[in-house]
Amino acid sequence: MTEGPPPGGPTARILDRGYRPYRGPRTGVRGAVATVWLQSVQRALGIRRSAWAKVLPLASVAISYVPAIVFVGVVALIPDAREVGELDLPTFGEYFPFIQAAVLLFVSFVGPEILCTDRRTGMLGIYLASPLSRDTYLGAKALATFSVISLITVGPTLLMLVAYVLQGVGPDGPGGVAATFVRIIVSGLLLALLYTAVGLGVSSLTDRKAFATAALLLLMVVVSAFITVLVEESDLPGSLQGLSLLSGPFGLVELVHGERASIPGLGLPAALGGLAAWTALGLGVTHLRYRLLQVTR
Amino acid sequence: MPVATAAGPSTPGAAPGGAVIRTRGVVKRWGGTLALAGADVEIGPGVTGLLGANGSGKTTLLGLLLGLHAPDDGAIEVLGLDPTRAGPEVRARVGYSPEHHSLPPDVKAVDFVRHVGELHGLPRREATGRASDVLWQLGLGEERTRPLGTMSTGQRQRVKLAQAIVHDPVLVLLDEPTEGLDPVQRDDMLALIRRVGSEFGIHVVLSSHVLDEVERVADGAVILHAGRVVGSGSLADLQASSTGGVVVEPAGDPAAFVAAVEGRGHAVERAGDRLVVAGTGDEVFDVVRDALVATGLAVRRLEPRRRSLEEVFLASGLVGGQAAAEESWR
Repeated sequence: MTEGPPPGGPTARILDRGYRPYRGPRTGVRGAVATVWLQSVQRALGIRRSAWAKVLPLASVAISYVPAIVFVGVVALIPDAREVGELDLPTFGEYFPFIQAAVLLFVSFVGPEILCTDRRTGMLGIYLASPLSRDTYLGAKALATFSVISLITVGPTLLMLVAYVLQGVGPDGPGGVAATFVRIIVSGLLLALLYTAVGLGVSSLTDRKAFATAALLLLMVVVSAFITVLVEESDLPGSLQGLSLLSGPFGLVELVHGERASIPGLGLPAALGGLAAWTALGLGVTHLRYRLLQVTR
Repeated sequence: MPVATAAGPSTPGAAPGGAVIRTRGVVKRWGGTLALAGADVEIGPGVTGLLGANGSGKTTLLGLLLGLHAPDDGAIEVLGLDPTRAGPEVRARVGYSPEHHSLPPDVKAVDFVRHVGELHGLPRREATGRASDVLWQLGLGEERTRPLGTMSTGQRQRVKLAQAIVHDPVLVLLDEPTEGLDPVQRDDMLALIRRVGSEFGIHVVLSSHVLDEVERVADGAVILHAGRVVGSGSLADLQASSTGGVVVEPAGDPAAFVAAVEGRGHAVERAGDRLVVAGTGDEVFDVVRDALVATGLAVRRLEPRRRSLEEVFLASGLVGGQAAAEESWR
């Protein structure tokens, strides 16, 4: 039996609210940038997407944290071993060569996922028909790419620092901890900046994610291998490794941590110069490409 | 120049003088191609058709109105603002539905519409509520959680319309919104567009190359041909013809009436239940009046013959494409 409305109670129901005008506050360009940033970060990490779309980003992030977790675990299980020199765990500066494959993979798909998809699906026209301009759109996309890549360029070493400090085997004193913290942040953000610029630069040249990913992988591997061979076979100065997209930036991390670079002859100016050159090239290509892009259709 | 306007919704955002959009001598080149050759457009409140063949400059004009690119020459005003200088301010108050059908296939319709609402400045909670509401209004209430890639072309066209109006714009620009739809879907979409213009109170510019669509939903029209405006005004004005004669819909046997009119030297053509009396100026009205009185024929309808937009387009006398535009512009 269906119960009717209670005696004296409301009997009316709203079936159609109709179209309602909106007269409230609007968030403007800042709100548009924020929503594009959030949507791009979610997309790159597979959030609110199918399970299949989550596999690659989550696997890459997980792999990049595995060495840090292993090192922390070893220190936790054998707390005295490090102090007596039985363990030769890598320093903060030496961490990235351990996760080189994860960095390659992650960087190669984040930029294309964030930038190519909009052109491929026609979203770019919708974005640019909003309060965003080309510059603010690219700014939001760059910020999103930078944020996501920072997950693996800052996160693992930061995790190591926190765990080491909690286990009492971290840097000496609050000053040492603070200095290491700053070095981790600076070196991680520099790496993220470089890979954001290169990732966006290559992704801006095609609207096909697969092409952009393959091109990024090739670029990073081939350039690095070519420079390494050039330096070793032609007796050129080691500072040329600053232009490499793998060993150069990883050497820069060592230098930022005040350690000796594992690449002979690579100094801080050369490493920073190489990073600045690739960053400027990547961002310049992206900006030029989007300035000339026709987006009406 | 006549303003393409007619009775429509309220006029929020209209510039002084009633024009929602005004362009003067707008020229736009894409490399060696002249897309707009000095276009003068004035669009008033209500639903306005932007009519022209493919390649006539409609999409280029929409891009200029949104401030997506700058004109090579001329001036543009949208809602009283120059989109070249105040692009973000203009775009915050304008909705846009692009021509293409491709949308992110793995995104749910409601998420997509909410995201566009947030892009245009709606707070997240408001955008979420309005996205659902608008999709319900456009007949996609049950489908709103489906990924866009699983939707039909007709449903995706509705989603595109929903994202264009979710933020309560003053003006919405629809680029070929019936492209790819079957006749039934097309009728539904045109009814929705009419509803957006009349019931929702949003000014609509409907870009189309289909004359019939504009005739059915628009209050006014701007006709583009090879980058130039060849006709502009309210639909009634554009279709009115001083040389077209009179349309009579008789209630009885018109034989005597036809004979009387033809006896005065005016040809009579049958078009279904109606008679079209050829003639020029006011004289033909006098002839029809006299014949009706003389024969005692009752009529259901008596009105000036109106031209179809196709006739208006053909009567513009401008033929040819790019070469004609280049020549006339020079």
